[in-house]
Amino acid sequence: MSNDAQLHQLVEQIHAARERRAPLNICGGGSKIFYGGMPRGDALHVGSLEGISSYEPTELVVTARAGTKLVELEKILVQKNQYLAFDPPQFSASATVGGMVAAGLAGPARASVGGVRDYVLGVALLNGRGELMRFGGQVIKNVAGYDVSRLAVGSMGVLGVICEVSLKVLPLPAVDATLQWEIGANEALEKMNQWRGQPLPINATSWFQGRLRLRLRGSRAAVQAASDLLRGSSVEANEGTQWWTELRDHRQAFFKVDAPSIARDQSLWRLSVPATAQLMMPSEEVLIEWAGALRWWRTSLSAETVRNYATQAGGHATLFYGGDKSFAKCTPFAPLSEASMRIHRNLKTAFDPDNLFNPGRLCADF
Amino acid sequence: MQTNLSPEFRGTQQGATAEAILRKCVHCGFCLATCPTYQLLGNELDGPRGRIYLIKQVLEGATVTRSTQQHLDRCLTCRSCETTCPSGVDYGHLIDIGRQVIDERVARPTREKFVRWLLKVGLTSSFFGPAIKLGALLRPMLPKTLQNKVPLPSDIESGSWPTRIHARKVLLLAGCVQPSIRPNINAATARVLDAAGIQSLVAGKAGCCGAIRVHLNDRPGGLNDMRRNIDAWWPTIESNAIDAIIMNASGCGVMVKDYGAALAADASYAKKAARVSALTMDLSELLPDLVSALRTRVIASSQQLMAFHSPCTLQHGQRLLGGVERHLQSLGFKVEVTLSENHQCCGSAGTYSVLEPKIAYQLRDRKLAEIGRLKPRCIISANIGCIQHLQSGTSIPVKHWIEILDQAIV
Amino acid sequence: MPQTEAQVAAVLVACHELGVPVVARGAGTGLSGGATPHRFGVILSLARFNRVIRVDPLNCLAVVECGVRNLSISEAAAPFGLYYAPDPSSQIACTIGGNIAENSGGVHCLKYGLTLHNVLKLRGFTASGELIEFGSEALDSPGLDLLSIVVGSEGMLAVITEVTVKLIPKPPVARCLLASFADLEAAGNAVAAVIAAGIIPAGLELMDRRMTAAVESFVHAGYDLNAAAILLCESDGTCDEVEEEIGHMGAVLKSCGATRLSVSQDEAERLRFWSGRKNAFPASGRISPDYMCMDSTIPRKRMAEMLRAIEAMELKYDLRCANVFHAGDGNLHPLILFDANDPDQLRRCELFGAEILEASVHLGGTISGEHGVGLEKLNSMCVQFSPLERQQMIAVKRAFDPKEILNPGKVIPTLHRCAEYGKMTVHRGLLPFAELPRF
Repeated sequence: MSNDAQLHQLVEQIHAARERRAPLNICGGGSKIFYGGMPRGDALHVGSLEGISSYEPTELVVTARAGTKLVELEKILVQKNQYLAFDPPQFSASATVGGMVAAGLAGPARASVGGVRDYVLGVALLNGRGELMRFGGQVIKNVAGYDVSRLAVGSMGVLGVICEVSLKVLPLPAVDATLQWEIGANEALEKMNQWRGQPLPINATSWFQGRLRLRLRGSRAAVQAASDLLRGSSVEANEGTQWWTELRDHRQAFFKVDAPSIARDQSLWRLSVPATAQLMMPSEEVLIEWAGALRWWRTSLSAETVRNYATQAGGHATLFYGGDKSFAKCTPFAPLSEASMRIHRNLKTAFDPDNLFNPGRLCADF
Repeated sequence: MQTNLSPEFRGTQQGATAEAILRKCVHCGFCLATCPTYQLLGNELDGPRGRIYLIKQVLEGATVTRSTQQHLDRCLTCRSCETTCPSGVDYGHLIDIGRQVIDERVARPTREKFVRWLLKVGLTSSFFGPAIKLGALLRPMLPKTLQNKVPLPSDIESGSWPTRIHARKVLLLAGCVQPSIRPNINAATARVLDAAGIQSLVAGKAGCCGAIRVHLNDRPGGLNDMRRNIDAWWPTIESNAIDAIIMNASGCGVMVKDYGAALAADASYAKKAARVSALTMDLSELLPDLVSALRTRVIASSQQLMAFHSPCTLQHGQRLLGGVERHLQSLGFKVEVTLSENHQCCGSAGTYSVLEPKIAYQLRDRKLAEIGRLKPRCIISANIGCIQHLQSGTSIPVKHWIEILDQAIV
Repeated sequence: MPQTEAQVAAVLVACHELGVPVVARGAGTGLSGGATPHRFGVILSLARFNRVIRVDPLNCLAVVECGVRNLSISEAAAPFGLYYAPDPSSQIACTIGGNIAENSGGVHCLKYGLTLHNVLKLRGFTASGELIEFGSEALDSPGLDLLSIVVGSEGMLAVITEVTVKLIPKPPVARCLLASFADLEAAGNAVAAVIAAGIIPAGLELMDRRMTAAVESFVHAGYDLNAAAILLCESDGTCDEVEEEIGHMGAVLKSCGATRLSVSQDEAERLRFWSGRKNAFPASGRISPDYMCMDSTIPRKRMAEMLRAIEAMELKYDLRCANVFHAGDGNLHPLILFDANDPDQLRRCELFGAEILEASVHLGGTISGEHGVGLEKLNSMCVQFSPLERQQMIAVKRAFDPKEILNPGKVIPTLHRCAEYGKMTVHRGLLPFAELPRF
């Protein structure tokens, strides 16, 4: 089926759902089905809306349809020596471009290069009336009208069906190198914080089980100079790549909450906090990324306690794996202020007045 | 910007000049960043672009009010905006025109009129000198506000005036208030020039440069001051006896350098005025000569840090930036300027400190706080107004740089 | 002119109650009329919110009030070896609040991003005067990313009083390469070639001869006045890194026909090279009584094509145009020179401008790269967005500000206005599915 025909089909499904007032569950590759609130409603498949609609390496811009697999996109970019700098996770090989934007999750390089929204230049969106609209564009600088395309990033699909996305891509760095240190969590945090204020080509950092790892990325000269200056023990290239990829895709055992060996009541929390926040949890329960700004915490503590820690540190906590995510028990995402919630509700009405898309995946209210 | 002058101004010389200036402005707003009153008050009508708009409206026939007048009064005429302006707007001349036009249309309250008259007549009259001497003696008994304006008795000592005759001669403008409140500046100037082999001549009949009257919106009175000075200097100029007219107060310098433009329409003075302006130099413009002549005769204390405050009339009005500190440093003096806000006005601005004391003292204190961060032993400047004004807010001595050079000559 | 947040809230509460429009205003240096007063409204001048609240060097951030000038942030951060990256050319005067409203760029945003990419958190008030915060000192926040839509919303969604910006380490070395070209087209192609070679320069700017001549008389930067166009290419990083990149860029530019190359030898010279670019707009006041500055973005590879089109328009409208581009981003700033006192020139100039914007959209670009839509480009919004898309934007506006009191009449044109502009039938239909074949 051609893409136009598929689009027509989606529009018709939306119209039909509207008439029946039946909610729709937007499905891509299904790699992040666990993320956010529990999906409900009839499946609306966008996975077959795939392919690259345009790619101009000299413009540093690629436009891909929502169902395009990230693996495919990566392959095409690498041929032209380019890549997505923000390391979007691929929790499985089925992860798609649309899902990447809807979830808005970025990988280890987030703290130094920016997140998904910093690379989204434009989207085509079907709203709750089945109207196709485009926001943003295919150029790097664009401030015409409100930037609705960036609002779609991390929206969990509640505003509309993401059909096509234009992304900024970057040339692959000349060199990658991984260094490591055997040190405790507090010392690691201190080091990460200090490095941040220095002009070093640091691309990613992590601390896990007594080991601080650091990825340098950039020109040969810059990476060499930084390696000499930082004096960590250098990690073999393959091993380094493997570590960062597994971290990006949550393949380490630490992230497997439903593995049989783990106590049933444990959950994995994602704490996004200011990088300089204190450790606040036992170091054997945590994996730190983003120069200290992201902390994965395996704990059986109550949601309330975990959220309190995060709020006190000036951040927020998301229930990522495990736990009961039906909103009745615990909302996966931290609650919002009243003023902000009012705007959320209004925006939802503005895009999806009949509350069709992905009910409950972002907020309990809609 | 677009202009559409009202019939009243169309075709007049004033209108034509103003229009030419207005057309250059592209209202970008860069000037707000360096305007002292906008920085303090935050009202766009108290910034250059706002005032330009007000003047434009008046020239386009809008009703003029007392409030328009006050926004223009609040301008220090420091001309910092001109240095910042990428489009080259001649703001200084525009505001002179604006003030004049508005004063012709809006009456000032009696008290304000009286203060302005007093300043205009008092500062430039022959009674000013004796009055200051008396004031200096009575200083402890005066109220604080007046104390600020009156020098200490030690300030009005001047030392001797050199008597040697040199082939190279310059005319020196003594000024109106300077000989009375800091006579040493003129004497020190003459001594330093003498040491460098230059003889200073002072024309007895020359007096106020005209800036006081012009800035108090008495343009005809100001033009008369100018004509009187030209007459006083002309015989010496005609005889080719001098190679420059030297200003040791940058406020006067900026005015005298403008004589040519100010009297351009006066057939009998236009040529002479242009000649005078061409001959006029700030004292610091002689520094290259002074440095080479005095290098071996100056013993500078490199320990004592001095902070140089560059007057607006020097750095913006005459566009002379960096010369004083560079040359003094090359003689071994330790001179620095403030790390930030070096471009900002100290608030003195001629008679401004009397007319708008609140803003003037806020600016003074801000300037002194910036200078204070350098921890100087002495503050030096190049204009009598700034020197007096800054001194009123600090116990650190404030001097003209020529006085420092004078003391260091052995 | 409020001085406290409580006063801002009180103004908003009162205006909201009475339905009076409120236009927030900073230094008024914007280039699209975004802060132009409303005929029946209140101007909320935030000039007095000019304190730097704190600089946190360890967290690499600064918290400032909205009226703080862009340049003051970098000045406050300088003692810690940090700076705030976005540097619009008006940075000496423009305020951070205005930068937030317009999502301002600057000459270094190819590498360092726009305002949005350098802002962590905003604190301000909704149209009804309710305190609200967007974003946080962490790298993300729960819920929809409202921060990203408030940035660049031209003061129509909320009034921002406090801004937390990201600071980044100042690169140890920055050098600027100045390249001359004998024709504009070669210069345009050289830009694409630099990017194609895998280089992301810290800055990549183009100025044509008319522009260099205008600024040279103000800044004396030493530009090559014989060149048809000059490119300013900046590289920053460690000493070796910069050396390597400058060498690489120089080679690419040479192969693209650069007639002269010079590299800044010290920081003073580098700043002088840039000062001409930063003063470019207002300096046009020296060669023409008035100018209209356009701001559109096109794909880089279409640059030469666009320049030719502009040349043709100069003849068509009988007006001169000086060009200065953020070439690295494909962001054009053609300055149409005219005399506003001549009504016909003004009319021709407006048509000229609109045609440039239309051509930009046709070449796959956008009508505003960084200056915003404001009042100036309302008509051109009809060219870029369909009625449905504009309707959706109006709905977004109402989600934040149901009574539409914040900066009304800007950015989103009414359907009626677009109909008058005559674009409805020409560009896109009214039918809901007329868009589908665009896939």
